[in-house]
Amino acid sequence: VKAIECPRESDVLDAVASARWPHRVTQELADHVASCGICTDVVVVAEAMRSDHDAIWQQADIPSSGQVWWRAEMRARQEAIRQASRPITIAQGVAALVVLAFATVTGWFAWTWIAHQTPTFKFANVSAQALASPLAASLVVALCALVVIAPVALYLVLSDE
Amino acid sequence: MFSRDVTFLDVERLNRVAAAAVETFQMDEDTFRAFYDRTARPVWAYLARITGDRSLADDLLQESYYRFLRAERSFTSESHRRNYLYRIATNLAHDRHRQTRGTVTVPVPAEHGPAALTDGHDVAADAERRTDLDRAMAQLKPRERELLWLAYAHGSSHEEIADSLGLRKASIKMLLFRARRRLAGILGAVTPNRAQS
Repeated sequence: VKAIECPRESDVLDAVASARWPHRVTQELADHVASCGICTDVVVVAEAMRSDHDAIWQQADIPSSGQVWWRAEMRARQEAIRQASRPITIAQGVAALVVLAFATVTGWFAWTWIAHQTPTFKFANVSAQALASPLAASLVVALCALVVIAPVALYLVLSDE
Repeated sequence: MFSRDVTFLDVERLNRVAAAAVETFQMDEDTFRAFYDRTARPVWAYLARITGDRSLADDLLQESYYRFLRAERSFTSESHRRNYLYRIATNLAHDRHRQTRGTVTVPVPAEHGPAALTDGHDVAADAERRTDLDRAMAQLKPRERELLWLAYAHGSSHEEIADSLGLRKASIKMLLFRARRRLAGILGAVTPNRAQS
């Protein structure tokens, strides 16, 4: 079975960490490292890592603790408000749907009533001349505008921002 | 865009909600600031090395502390608390790695501060060694980078590494052995080439 650790590993690590390696260690430890594959790897990796750690440590430009706390506080508040506002948005959506359904049902009943009152009325019978009259033209424009504006207005009411 | 009308009652309610959100932080401001001052620099160095990107490390540092503050956990010791912070940082780095998979990792640039010029070290040799390490680390898997950094740069014990990375303590020895072998192999292959050239 191939060994994956050496009992002298911690001595070698101590020597590298305290900058005693390679000049201020006992000859016995130096001889051991020269003959042990595991400890040789430990020295190579630990030396490279330690020097890299020191260099990165100096480069670190971290924000102050006050700044980090303040940002976290702001973010927590915003998230809480967003979460608490969600039921209001849902209620508004439900209300808008109820109004829409009510308007549709009312429109349906109104249309059937009108059709019942004037059984001879048909769209096909309406002459082009009648539609060209100023009153009918403005009614058509108003209806078209309503069809375009209503969904936009609903979207604006229901959107969050 | 359009803003909804909000009543005074709504404002009052939302203010109360916002104030309560901060109360859910798992420590008060003074305790947090002391904890941050002790841990931020090593956590940033860890993130910078395992992601290979300084600006990403800045973002992940802020995010790590935020998630740490919002975590609903109790800690038995300072070490437990610190290891949990490292675990959050590690998971965030993994998430980012998954999102950007396929893109090339840019190593942390080797900068030389004034301290490096005055402490008597051979600056050129240090720079060469760090460039070699940058390249070697870029060839390792994220998990290997994390293990090696925690063990050899941070000086963590196997138990602390297991706690920080969410691994079993028994597996650390083998994983560390393999990662170390791999890095030493890459560094060993780079150094003789440099010596010859």
